[in-house]
Amino acid sequence: MNKALDLLQGTLDMLILKAVSLGPLHGYGVLLRIQQISKDRLEIQQGSLYPALYRLEHQGWITSEWGESENNRKAKFYRLTAAGKRRLQAESQKWNQMTDVIAGILGTKPEEV
Amino acid sequence: MTRTRWARFRSWVNATRRRSQMESEMDAELRFHMETYSDELIRSGVPREEAVRRAALEFGGAEKIKEECRDARGADLLESFLQDVHYGVRTLRKAPTFATIAILTLALGIGATTAMFSIVNAVLLRPLAYRQPDKLYVIREGIAEMAQFYPSFPANLNGFLRWQSQCHSFEQIAIVEPLEKILTGAGESQEIHGGRGSANLFEVLGAQPQLGRTFLADEDRPGSDHVVILTDSFWRDRFHADPSLIGRSITLDGEADVVVGILPPTFRFPKAAQLGPLTDFGSQLDFFKPLGLDPAKFSLLGEFDYAAIGRLKPGVSPQQALAELNIIQAQIAKDAKENIDLHAELWPLETQVVGPARRGLLLLLSGVAAMLLIVCANLASLLLARIPNRLRESAIRTALGASRSRLVRQMLTESILLSLLGGSLGIGLAYLSLHQLVRWGPADLPRLDEVRLDARVLGFAFLLSTMTAIVFGALPAWRVTRTEPHDALKSGAITATENRRTRRLRESLIGFEVAACTLLLIVAGLLTVSFVRLLAVDKGFSAERTLTVDVTLPRQSYPKAAQEQTFYDSVLREVQRLPGVSHAGWINKLPFQGQEEVNSIQASGRVTDALHAPLANFRFITPDYFQAAGIPLRQGRFTAESDAQRHVALISQSLADKVWPGENPVGKQFHQGGDDRPLTEVIGVVGDIRSVALDQPPLLMVYAQSGDVANDWSGWHASLVVRSTSEPLALASALRGAVRSVDSTVPIVHLRQMTEVVTESVSIRRFQMSLVALFAVLALALAAIGTYGVLAYSVEQRRPELGLRRALGAQVSDLRWMILRQGMAPVAIGLLCGVAASLVAGSLIRSLLFGVTASDPLTIASVAVVVLAIALLACYLPARRSMSVDPMVALRYE
Repeated sequence: MNKALDLLQGTLDMLILKAVSLGPLHGYGVLLRIQQISKDRLEIQQGSLYPALYRLEHQGWITSEWGESENNRKAKFYRLTAAGKRRLQAESQKWNQMTDVIAGILGTKPEEV
Repeated sequence: MTRTRWARFRSWVNATRRRSQMESEMDAELRFHMETYSDELIRSGVPREEAVRRAALEFGGAEKIKEECRDARGADLLESFLQDVHYGVRTLRKAPTFATIAILTLALGIGATTAMFSIVNAVLLRPLAYRQPDKLYVIREGIAEMAQFYPSFPANLNGFLRWQSQCHSFEQIAIVEPLEKILTGAGESQEIHGGRGSANLFEVLGAQPQLGRTFLADEDRPGSDHVVILTDSFWRDRFHADPSLIGRSITLDGEADVVVGILPPTFRFPKAAQLGPLTDFGSQLDFFKPLGLDPAKFSLLGEFDYAAIGRLKPGVSPQQALAELNIIQAQIAKDAKENIDLHAELWPLETQVVGPARRGLLLLLSGVAAMLLIVCANLASLLLARIPNRLRESAIRTALGASRSRLVRQMLTESILLSLLGGSLGIGLAYLSLHQLVRWGPADLPRLDEVRLDARVLGFAFLLSTMTAIVFGALPAWRVTRTEPHDALKSGAITATENRRTRRLRESLIGFEVAACTLLLIVAGLLTVSFVRLLAVDKGFSAERTLTVDVTLPRQSYPKAAQEQTFYDSVLREVQRLPGVSHAGWINKLPFQGQEEVNSIQASGRVTDALHAPLANFRFITPDYFQAAGIPLRQGRFTAESDAQRHVALISQSLADKVWPGENPVGKQFHQGGDDRPLTEVIGVVGDIRSVALDQPPLLMVYAQSGDVANDWSGWHASLVVRSTSEPLALASALRGAVRSVDSTVPIVHLRQMTEVVTESVSIRRFQMSLVALFAVLALALAAIGTYGVLAYSVEQRRPELGLRRALGAQVSDLRWMILRQGMAPVAIGLLCGVAASLVAGSLIRSLLFGVTASDPLTIASVAVVVLAIALLACYLPARRSMSVDPMVALRYE
């Protein structure tokens, strides 16, 4: 499978939370981290990251701070909050349950019905 | 506050407070992203320019993303609202003519609706100033055998006493009857109007005095009743709101009464008509006294003189109460040894107070609302006209990343801005016009004096403005956002297609406007025809060149009827001596002043059950009254000096026909009341007159001589009717002088022309008619402007097409006809809809009409002609303009 996948509706928030949970990141860093973890299998429109970041911050799941980037420029770093951590757990759990169910359904063979 | 909620709040506060800072931080953050990415691309070997381009491209539309970030941050509402307002103000300032027209017509529409609503608010919506007014019922009595003459009577004293002691459905029942007194002492002597009621009257109404107390339980017994409670207005006018009046005495009819209480300014007492016919309270009450009557002196089934008001117990239905009252009524009839069906009636007081005015006011409110809708349609149409310009602008905004909902919001903000400006101006307009309305409004419109702009009215005006904005703004906003941006950006393409679509919308708006204004015009026409027919009705008397003087004689100076008669005769002698007086006569009650002295008529020698005898209104007159009032003699003769010692009377034509059908009534005799009363001889028959109201058929009348001892009349009230040979008002001061020369202590209550008496009786109708007519004319003007605007604009837009047609050989007259036809098509449809709506609405206003049906073809045809003529004019002007189009110029236009 060479072609990158379009992101499923509503999963971007979860991915951002996960990326940020591994350590504070600026927006561009979040993008790189997701691409890195997904081994470039996911296609994220770069700009669409920011409304999501602002939304998550507004909801109190991440918090931001201006700091210095690796290339010595001022950048805004996002960090997971306690509420964000709980949210991430809940979301991942839900996601895992969902994929189990879906995988189960899709993996069903005719003789199992 | 939880952590997340706190974060949300903080982010919102930050967003709002440090808007510019957040904005620059957002810019920096996005710039950092793109620069870092492009740096990386450069490092991987992409040329700098290409790297920057790709970074921007892969990032996506920066403005759109920023907008989404702002939305996500939650500061969006307030911020974008402020932006919208700012933008709206700028747009409106760029189109000052449009803005001015819009604001002015909105001010007119909202102002008129607000003014009308404040009247409805005062008259219909604000409850009576009594405690739980919905529990209050007027109790009246009816006798089935007399129902054909009088369906119901006020209550009588003994009935009331029984109800009070035996009926358990009511918490309490109170009775009250009208009472006049002459106030002497401090200042000029003055006739004052009030009521005499049972001690519990104020308890039943649930009204508290602002000073002092109400009546004590034993104060309505005879002898202990020398106390009085004053109304606020009388206390202010006469006693300058002096609080030390409590406990002091004032002199009423020569007797000292102690003032024990002052009612609050909000206290209102129902008017006569609201307590039912035959109850006679004035419009302005000054005082209340306790009853002070001895029930033993009253018969069980007589003197039905009292307004009875009961307060139902909680949980008791009016039906239950009525059933209980009727059991008591049956027992009363049995005890009185009368074989009659005596029953009770319950009328909800609240409905009684506002009932008759309700329909008329709701009509006015609907009329003004229809006008406001026309204003909305006009504005929507104006906004639609601006759409081609707006389309390009909105397309650019969409392309730059504005969301569709944001565009709608922005356009609605603009409409709301317009209508709030118009609304504020309208409230000012309403405030100014209210004063005029109240002053000009009919005195008998209940509680008109309480009209004011209160919080409810202001809230209504605000709500109305907002709703108006949504009504006229939504349609254009919807049109704009339905357009694909790339279509709009292709210039020229939009003009043709957009115009066709919006033109259809605008034509429907014209159709609607014409329908609404046709409906209003028809209703106004019907009311006007009713009014004219009403005034043209044969009153039975002639009001021209006639003056009336109402006097009240102080009781203590005129204790006997003979003394009153001497006063009347002396004034008459003085008046007849005046130059310019052709006839003058006294009567105890003028036409249109209600019923009084209602008694049964029994032809002598005929055995009629008293209850089946016709009831007539008795009037007491001096000989020249009929000539003075212009009432024609049909048979027999008028009274003369020589009749002074005899019992004679004139009767009205309809009474003659009823009692002596087919016979000559002159010379016949009758008893007034029971046959134990002396016989009165009929000496003449006079024409019927409309004595209650112009729209009600004549009553049966008996005119007896004033001073006839057989008729125990001493009313202390009388009106002098003077027919003049020239301008009647020239006599006014001479008449005052004549009354004063006989007795200067007698107050003149009114001095007015008989024509005023007549017009006052139709003042509510005049009020309704004038206002509806005003609304209808405004609606017509607005609809005409709207039609003209739509067509003129469409001709302007179609210049190239028209030019092309002419270049291809179309005749000028063909083109003119085409434009006219296109303009008049929606008008014709609207007209038909309006007429159809008026036929439906007709049944709702039937009770307001007189002498004309709701489907009056003449009215409808006239309205149709007027609407068509105005619409033709509105269409002809643009059509003619289209003729001036030079084909070459028009073709070069684009």
